[in-house]
Amino acid sequence: MFSTADETANVIWFDISYADTISSQADIMRFFADNNVNIRFGYLDNTGQAKKGKYIIFTQVNKNVDMEKLAADLKGLDVVQDVEYGISSNKMIQSVEFPLNLLGERAVIARATTFVDIIRTLYENVSQSDGLLMLSGLKGGINAARYFKGITTIDESNFKDVLKELFMATGWGILDVECDCETMSGRIFVHESFIADNFKESERPVCGYMSGYFAGFITEVVGKTMHVREVRCKSMGHDVCEHIISLAPEGAKLEHLLRGDIT
Amino acid sequence: MIRQPNVVFGNSRLLVTMGGKGELFGFFYPRRDYAQHVEDSLACIYNGNKLLWLNSHEWYSTQEYIEDSNIVSTELSHGSGIKISIIDFVHPEVPILIRKFKFHSKKQLRGKFFYYSNLNVGEMNKKNSCFCDSDEKLLVQYWQDYYIGLKGIPDFKEWQVGKSMDTIWWTNAKYDMEDGKLQNNKEDIGQLNNALGWDLDIEAGGETEITVLIGAAQKRTRLYKSMRELANQPIDNVFEKTRDNWIMWLSKKNVLSLPVLGEHNVAKQEMFSAYNRSLLTLNLLNDEKHGSFIAAPEFDSNFEMCGGYGFCWNRDGVEVVLALLDAGYPEYCDRFFKWCEKTQLSDGSWFQRYWLDGNTAPSWGNFDYSTQVDETGATLHAIDTYYRSLKGITKVEFLEDMWALVLRGAEYLMKRSRRGVHDSCIDLWETYYGRFSYTNASVYAGLVAAAHIAEKYDESGLADRWVKHADFVKMKTIEKLWLNEGYFAKGIINKKLDPTVDASILGMIVPFNMLSPNNREERAMIYSIIKNIEEKLRIKVNDHYGILRYEGDNYIEGNPWIVTTLWLSKTMLSLAIALQSESGSEKQVRQLVIDATDYIKWSLRGTTSTGLLSEQVDKFTGYPAWAIPLGWSCALMLDNIRLLDKIR
Repeated sequence: MFSTADETANVIWFDISYADTISSQADIMRFFADNNVNIRFGYLDNTGQAKKGKYIIFTQVNKNVDMEKLAADLKGLDVVQDVEYGISSNKMIQSVEFPLNLLGERAVIARATTFVDIIRTLYENVSQSDGLLMLSGLKGGINAARYFKGITTIDESNFKDVLKELFMATGWGILDVECDCETMSGRIFVHESFIADNFKESERPVCGYMSGYFAGFITEVVGKTMHVREVRCKSMGHDVCEHIISLAPEGAKLEHLLRGDIT
Repeated sequence: MIRQPNVVFGNSRLLVTMGGKGELFGFFYPRRDYAQHVEDSLACIYNGNKLLWLNSHEWYSTQEYIEDSNIVSTELSHGSGIKISIIDFVHPEVPILIRKFKFHSKKQLRGKFFYYSNLNVGEMNKKNSCFCDSDEKLLVQYWQDYYIGLKGIPDFKEWQVGKSMDTIWWTNAKYDMEDGKLQNNKEDIGQLNNALGWDLDIEAGGETEITVLIGAAQKRTRLYKSMRELANQPIDNVFEKTRDNWIMWLSKKNVLSLPVLGEHNVAKQEMFSAYNRSLLTLNLLNDEKHGSFIAAPEFDSNFEMCGGYGFCWNRDGVEVVLALLDAGYPEYCDRFFKWCEKTQLSDGSWFQRYWLDGNTAPSWGNFDYSTQVDETGATLHAIDTYYRSLKGITKVEFLEDMWALVLRGAEYLMKRSRRGVHDSCIDLWETYYGRFSYTNASVYAGLVAAAHIAEKYDESGLADRWVKHADFVKMKTIEKLWLNEGYFAKGIINKKLDPTVDASILGMIVPFNMLSPNNREERAMIYSIIKNIEEKLRIKVNDHYGILRYEGDNYIEGNPWIVTTLWLSKTMLSLAIALQSESGSEKQVRQLVIDATDYIKWSLRGTTSTGLLSEQVDKFTGYPAWAIPLGWSCALMLDNIRLLDKIR
């Protein structure tokens, strides 16, 4: 995002490492207020190490201010351990830390359109693109579930909540998950799917990547082979995207397809 | 996907290309250029917890040929204490790949061995059909009359035939292996993959063996019979037979003594190995039935980053057959020139490149202005070189067979070089349009060759006409393209003289003999050409210098080429041989030999771990780059070593 700072000011970013006490953040805020520094955007991260935090702040500072002195004074606060700063010459503000990390791996920010453009290109140029997207999503879902299994307890009782929160946190969509854990059958409704919303109009479901993601995630969590397929899609004019969950049939032979057992 | 092999092997009907960890990249049957049936074909171990794919970074690998053969040994070791030795070879007579895996584990292992394949039989990623005959213990995938079969020794215990790119992902054999057991689906159609499974139970410190056979046939019944027959033979006997077969083939070569290397036994051994490996490689690039050669096994079939290499160019073909002729294998010349007879166009020229069966290949040279005139000149020159090597009735018959071809080819060269410099066409690097020094030299050589053949055919009128025009071409080439700086310009491009230094001007000397080292004035020109090439085109990689194709070359990052480096050393050695009969030239000869040997050794430092010569050497890493193995590089290596052998 871009700052709307006036021409007499610079956008200065600060990366502040601090001791995580009850008053640390207030002390830092007070310092900026006392020095007439206008905070435009910021975020903090106290999850990395115990009793240690990180503050990333984008500020608007008059061009006449001696930045070296300001940073040195900031570093002089009892709670502050280290300070880095820099001038954002294009007044661009990072909304997340660089490099971004997600589920233990390097992540990037991309517009949903970028992802949808890739899907469109596959549809236009690659045979069996639905399968390709399903398999790609499947890998993502399996890897995500393995990550959660490594850091917390995840099983049939809570995977629906984890999935919902994950989709919300990543901006992929808002989920309603209905699943009978006895029969492992149910459905997932995706509101505001980032794929369908950006794909606009289509004559077929376009969220196969998500179907694969759900299949991989649930399969990895419950240890049963899951089949997930999208039956309604917002890109087709439906009000919501709907994915059906079921146990995969034993094998999957052509006769199943011809009988309509598999869709 | 572009994947360069580390090793190649095969027989006359099957060519296999493979990566350094034993993963198959190419499985060409029944020709070297078509059809390539494999997308993926590799092994993995299920250790009771997860799959250990043999091509993953977790494995440390070494790979080499078993000496004097096209049999490959790959050793893999894993941090968990598992070691795998793979011996790969193709049966000498039938198109069956034999992959013998020997497993060793430090710790007790209770797991599975899976062999996974994603086949595109007939180069088709659809309309394939696959089935597993669980009674015969044979898995077969086919399309039209291409049948590829997999079988194990001992028999595989489980299998899966699945769809490789479908939304019903749980049938996909690659995913099916994840839980350590296969679903045993027996048949399917479409875009498919498959896996075979064996129990892999090894006590601590113990060993076990599993052999995988991958065969090809044009009929289902034939595949069944040949696979069954081979599975019943002791594999060690087949191995010995295969090795003997290669040793026997190599024994026909002209033997080297390399007196110039004196007591340098390591250097000698290095040259002997390079000589043998180049011969064995060229055998694999040849289509025995048609006589043609691929430039290199195809690795960019979608033409993503180049125009592909799995076709036959006359330019490359003649380099290869003449090198083989000199090394003691004249039969390749005979077959190749018969192929040339079949493929010559009605105007007397040859097309840019061909499929091995003689059909015209995908080309960006379909018109007179985009053809490559040098290929016609080079072909006539090579035909005469071979003709001169023949004796008796064979010589007479060859002349009769070739006369019409030579007549048409020579008249084509006459027509395309009326003004002494050839009409505009594409250069040998297939990159520039214009009139080129190298191409003009090939026209000269083609006409001189044709004139010699005409004379022998009692067509002295034609011989006289062609040789006069050849002299005119030589005169005009020197008049228009020789620069005061002491080298030939690359050519005339966009009607302007292009002074770029291009290594192909070495063609003036070898192979086209437009400049003779025996003529003092021309010898000075040769020295000057060498000096300019070394000054402008040397680039340091692997502690010595390789030679770029030309100044400003950007193809694949502008690496030094094995071809141009060995072309320069060949020129040096040819000069040295001419000089060695002159008294007082010992110092010059010695220096030329030292310089040439350094370039040859540099080329050998840029091979794969198995000794294959590539087209280029990566200028940053020093590793072999792009086409591997390249026939032209192998041919030049043979030429160089044979010339070195003639230095006293």
